[in-house]
Amino acid sequence: MIDPFTPFAAPFLGRPLILLVALAVAAGTVGVLVHLRRLEFSTDGLTHAVFPGLAIGAALGGAAGLLPGAIGAGLVAAVVLALISRRGQPRDTAVAIVLTTFFSFGVVLVSLSRGGGSISDFFFGRLLTITWGDLGVALTLIAVAVVLIVATARQQLFAAFDAAGARRAGLPVLALEVIGTVAIALVVVAASATVGTLLALAVVIVPAAAARALTRSLPAAIAISIAFGALTGWAGLWLVVQLATAGVDAAPGATVALTMIAGYLLALGAGALRRRTALRAAPTPERERVAR
Amino acid sequence: MNQQPEPVVEMRDAAFGYGGAPVLTGVSFTVQPGEAVALIGPNGAGKSTLLAGILGLAQHTASVFRVPGGTGEIGTLPQSSSIDPAFPVTLEQVVSMGRTPRLGLRWPGAHDRRIVAEALETVGLAAQRRTRFGDLSGGQRQRGLLARALASEPRLLLLDEPFNGLDRGARDDLVETIRTLKARGVALLITTHDLELARAVCDRTLLVNQRQVAFDETGCVLTLEQVEAAFASHVMEIDGHTLATTEHHASEHAGHHHPLADD
Repeated sequence: MIDPFTPFAAPFLGRPLILLVALAVAAGTVGVLVHLRRLEFSTDGLTHAVFPGLAIGAALGGAAGLLPGAIGAGLVAAVVLALISRRGQPRDTAVAIVLTTFFSFGVVLVSLSRGGGSISDFFFGRLLTITWGDLGVALTLIAVAVVLIVATARQQLFAAFDAAGARRAGLPVLALEVIGTVAIALVVVAASATVGTLLALAVVIVPAAAARALTRSLPAAIAISIAFGALTGWAGLWLVVQLATAGVDAAPGATVALTMIAGYLLALGAGALRRRTALRAAPTPERERVAR
Repeated sequence: MNQQPEPVVEMRDAAFGYGGAPVLTGVSFTVQPGEAVALIGPNGAGKSTLLAGILGLAQHTASVFRVPGGTGEIGTLPQSSSIDPAFPVTLEQVVSMGRTPRLGLRWPGAHDRRIVAEALETVGLAAQRRTRFGDLSGGQRQRGLLARALASEPRLLLLDEPFNGLDRGARDDLVETIRTLKARGVALLITTHDLELARAVCDRTLLVNQRQVAFDETGCVLTLEQVEAAFASHVMEIDGHTLATTEHHASEHAGHHHPLADD
């Protein structure tokens, strides 16, 4: 019952575990960039924008149509987002318009289609039914996204810290923004088509947020994000197995998402406790710094 | 015969603007290696447009226009920045960012790390290199951003109101840093409203008010008559410092982006 490893020898559990570990690496790179650039809302917009693509893909090609549908919708959403932003709308307004339009369109499509899948399928994915083919495509998309961010990491950091300063220093800030957005979109597409819209958002955003609560160091935040994503992914899947053994049929994607949120709350508590301890130990002038 | 080194900046009959009528005309001046030139003028005089022109962010016409053109050859220090103090980077990481334009996609090596260490040493913040940037005082952050500009090994530094908001100690430290940079051969163009500080560190002064009023040795340019003529008598003395005006020049050319301000 408590065996932490054996269940993952079964392919239907081993494949999602490999995917969640890969997504953890994305969380430590792409996710940290999302957090540093405060693009959580844009990422949320992208996950919802991919939704109608999933619905169309599922209606046309079943499970095999999910990834192509997501890629198509992701591309359309990225272009629409860029066009609305260039017409002078604030970024949040553009995201809100794209999110609402695409998401509503997706819900209408799902309600009209017969047999393509339910809304909860798209929200929470089909974590345990991923095929080796799905896994291969998802891992490729994640690898491309991670390479894009690692190759431009120092420039991305400069632009995230001080975009105006980076522009004055001659860095191609717009190109860096496009590379960052493409990387986020690749991870969102890979995650949405396999683990669902809700978990896609969780795996990109929650590990970096948890790491930020635990450390003020950037290299440590990257390491903690990866470890957090991998650990909570494994713990969530393990919990699914234990619940199934106990006769409870919990939705795997939602269970993993909830495990991540539980981990995040723990990290928040641990971070607050650490700051409180440091505050007590610090001399008075240091207290203001520790509190930040 | 003692030959004059080639100037880092050279302009003759230059005019600057953003597409419509020129904002600043008749500009002719040079900045030599190791020289600091003060750029002084009231709000709307065209100082920011001139800096933008040097950075290639504003349009210009000129019979002679020479500025450093290589990547990282011009360093800038904005008068204010909207940097998030909670951003998880150390001072050393911030200064290393300044090396990025020179690196491209190359990974930094021992030579790059040495330049970053030297930049920190120059601004007197080597001991704080592992401190989180947001935990530094205002003056230290200012010098940290100057070190970031130095990490690209610039031939020309554009400092926009670098003394604004600094207490006396931080101001003295910055003056000392500017002297060190001059001794190393870096050319500096410094906008300031503090005429005493201009006299303290700037060899020559460019006085502008929509056109060039004067360009000569600082002592010759900053006469009461010339400054009053350029500033329409907005000259006052505070705390032993002669200030040309207490207003910021942020309102200069409303509608245009300030080249050294943050977005």
